Amino acid sequence: MPMYKVKPVSPADIKIDVPSCMYKSPNVHGHGMNCGEHALQNGEVDPSLKALEERQDEVLRRLYELKATVDGFAKTVTTPDADLDASTPSPGPAESVFKGTADLDSLLGKDLGALRDIVINANPARPPLSLLVLHALLCQRYQVLSSVHVHSSVSAVPPPLLSCLGPRHIDSYARQRFQLGFTLIWKDVSELQMKFSTQSMCPIEGEANVARFLFRLLGAEPQDPAAATQMDCWIDKAVFQLSEGGSKDRAAVLRSLNAALGRSPWLLGQEFSLADIVCACFVLRAGQTTSAPVNVQRWLKSCQNLGHFDCVYPFLQ
Amino acid sequence: MYKDERYNNLKASGMLCLCVAGEEEQQAQSKKALKKQQKEAEKAAKKAEKQAKLAAEQQEADEDDFAKDRYGICPMVQSQQKLDRALVRVQDLTPEKAEQQIWVRARIHTSRAKGKQCFLVLRHQQFTVQALLAVGDRASKQMVKFAANLTKESIIDVEAVVKKVEQKIESCSQQDVELHVERIFVISQSEARLPLQLEDAVRPEGEGDEEGRATVNQDTRLDNRVIDLRTTTSQAIFRLQSGVCQLFRDTLINKGFVEIQTPKIISAASEGGANVFTVSYFKTSAYLAQSPQLYKQMCICADFDKVFCVGPVFRAEDSNTHRHLTEFVGLDIEMAFNYHYHEVIDSITDTMVQIFKGLRDRFQTEIQMVNKQYPSEPFKFLEPTLRLEYKEAVAMLKAAGVEMGDEEDLSTPNEKLLGRLVKDKYDTDFYVLDKYPLAVRPFYTMPDPNNPKYSNSYDMFMRGEEILSGAQRVHDAQLLTERAMHHGIDLEKIKAYIDSFRYGAPPHAGGGIGLERVTMLYLGLHNVRQTSMFPRDPKRLTP
Repeated sequence: MPMYKVKPVSPADIKIDVPSCMYKSPNVHGHGMNCGEHALQNGEVDPSLKALEERQDEVLRRLYELKATVDGFAKTVTTPDADLDASTPSPGPAESVFKGTADLDSLLGKDLGALRDIVINANPARPPLSLLVLHALLCQRYQVLSSVHVHSSVSAVPPPLLSCLGPRHIDSYARQRFQLGFTLIWKDVSELQMKFSTQSMCPIEGEANVARFLFRLLGAEPQDPAAATQMDCWIDKAVFQLSEGGSKDRAAVLRSLNAALGRSPWLLGQEFSLADIVCACFVLRAGQTTSAPVNVQRWLKSCQNLGHFDCVYPFLQ
Repeated sequence: MYKDERYNNLKASGMLCLCVAGEEEQQAQSKKALKKQQKEAEKAAKKAEKQAKLAAEQQEADEDDFAKDRYGICPMVQSQQKLDRALVRVQDLTPEKAEQQIWVRARIHTSRAKGKQCFLVLRHQQFTVQALLAVGDRASKQMVKFAANLTKESIIDVEAVVKKVEQKIESCSQQDVELHVERIFVISQSEARLPLQLEDAVRPEGEGDEEGRATVNQDTRLDNRVIDLRTTTSQAIFRLQSGVCQLFRDTLINKGFVEIQTPKIISAASEGGANVFTVSYFKTSAYLAQSPQLYKQMCICADFDKVFCVGPVFRAEDSNTHRHLTEFVGLDIEMAFNYHYHEVIDSITDTMVQIFKGLRDRFQTEIQMVNKQYPSEPFKFLEPTLRLEYKEAVAMLKAAGVEMGDEEDLSTPNEKLLGRLVKDKYDTDFYVLDKYPLAVRPFYTMPDPNNPKYSNSYDMFMRGEEILSGAQRVHDAQLLTERAMHHGIDLEKIKAYIDSFRYGAPPHAGGGIGLERVTMLYLGLHNVRQTSMFPRDPKRLTP
């Protein structure tokens, strides 16, 4: 039976003007093409395409590496005295800035086989930022067992304060494996207080004084008495004028900081020290860092680049 | 004396000389008789007077007692009738009820009559209110007299109008109101002589000595426990204790624990042979359980995972100390853990912290009431709980000048000193001491994996006194047998116990606290008998 015939809509041999800017691809509908010849139908990749992809991956990887290296160099250029391993793409914990050595036995007394536990009582309304920075530095140098407790005199504490010392160490069930204990207790106290050996030491009060004690454990105190005095001077300025003084005092301190930082990258010259830690923390806590003088802002950025201050930023709101 | 003219004249004239002796005798006799007569006459006169007075009074009373039916002693309540009367509690008497006429049932705490008025203080549990009964158109003299003569501690029903007062009544708990009594009836009369006075029982020790007033010593209190328990301090202590039990249950139920009841009549002594009560059990004898230890563990082997039980514990220790009883309430926990027994320590310490928080937040009134008589420092704790290791404790004690061996057990004075040192450094009254030496622990304690001289056991302390002893238990039948033999325990007696571990037992740990001791230490009291309602010790078996 004859099939339904359709009249051809268009004549078979029309001349079409193909534009030359487009690329030509082989005619798949043309005669002579057999499906079996194309091995790519089953998801296999043409080896040349594979090679192309691999080359692209290689180029992209090298690009990322270059970018990381350049970033690292940029930081190194703007941040003096920083030992960053610039080729690692992810910013891990910064290497210890301080190279000095300290003998815990001579500083803290003979080890009687028990964990030497430093207890700090702080008010949750005023978290001690410089002590958090020093804790991070101590953790790099020694094996520190850190724990955070809430005292019964305080009814509730916001969660960031409970995890301010970082995640719990996996070995924390075995207290003896640690050289030093760092116990932070959030308590309703008027003044920050540190207790170590209640039989032979009286409690140390005040964030700056505790910071001085902890800094000594890092063995990085300036040996030169002039430098040491200058460091103490900066710390006192931070405590008495920045945090306890009025807005005039604050402005004065920022000006003197600006002047000092114009002459050298860090407050004491070429070396990063406790003065930088304490002053930076107090400046950050006072707020309004965007309106601070130029050198101060640059110096704050350098501190941030060092990586030790990461623990501080969650508390600045 | 009588003056007889004749006698005097005769004497004067000397004519009595002959019959003087006889007459004098006679006269002496009659003097005596006269004296006697006089006396009798006087007595009779007095009696007559009295009777007359009484009669007059009686008449007066009968005449003037218009309030006869507004007071009196009710017949004993034998449920004769069901009155639909609402009684208001003393603690609900507030200025909001001013000018309302209400009925109150309470005890007479004190009564004081002053002329035409009688001031009563009515008490119900911890709450007191002042009530006033004055002679007037509602109350007669006889009624006021009746009220003034009522004995203390009698239970009365009072109908009164609540009145606001301008000046606060400091001595009562309801300070803003007083009751103006209209009707007063006695429901249960108390004997006049009380074995102890409630005001004396509530007086702080120091105040008693200073002002020379009496305080009640402990034995008298315990002998008359029913009256001693009526004091505000006792009411507060036992309400707080009820809170401890309640918080213990609630916290554990929320953590997914199951409450179990274990038998108290058992066949073998659980902790050791010395301190156990023997009871006769038909033809043989049995023991009263020293702890629910064995049964808790069997429940874990029976796959209950987390269990707790509240029940009596019997220890036949002949110790007459401030913190030992022969029978007390034990709150025991046992829990299976995944990999490390610290999971159990964390669970137990969290439960204790929830109990402390609950008491701190919801029982402040009771704590203040106890502190009035027994002042103490508020209880402090850390969250999460402080955990120190035994070696650290030994180092701290050595630094404080104590001489002791590394594997020695802590004596009670050393425990107290350690508590003070920990309080100094960490400012907490509650902490855990972990990793005790193996030698001083019972046979079922799991030894430390790294150091065979130590064990996976722990003690918890409150205010420097031990409240909980616990450990990871040995869950392997073979190791358990070895440890039992090492301790010289008769294996036959604990055969059933060892058998429960032969068919697959999860690693588990636990511990138990004494309810009375925890309440005593939380409140800072000094004798566990104050927190036990009817205490039992080697010298006391009643009430």
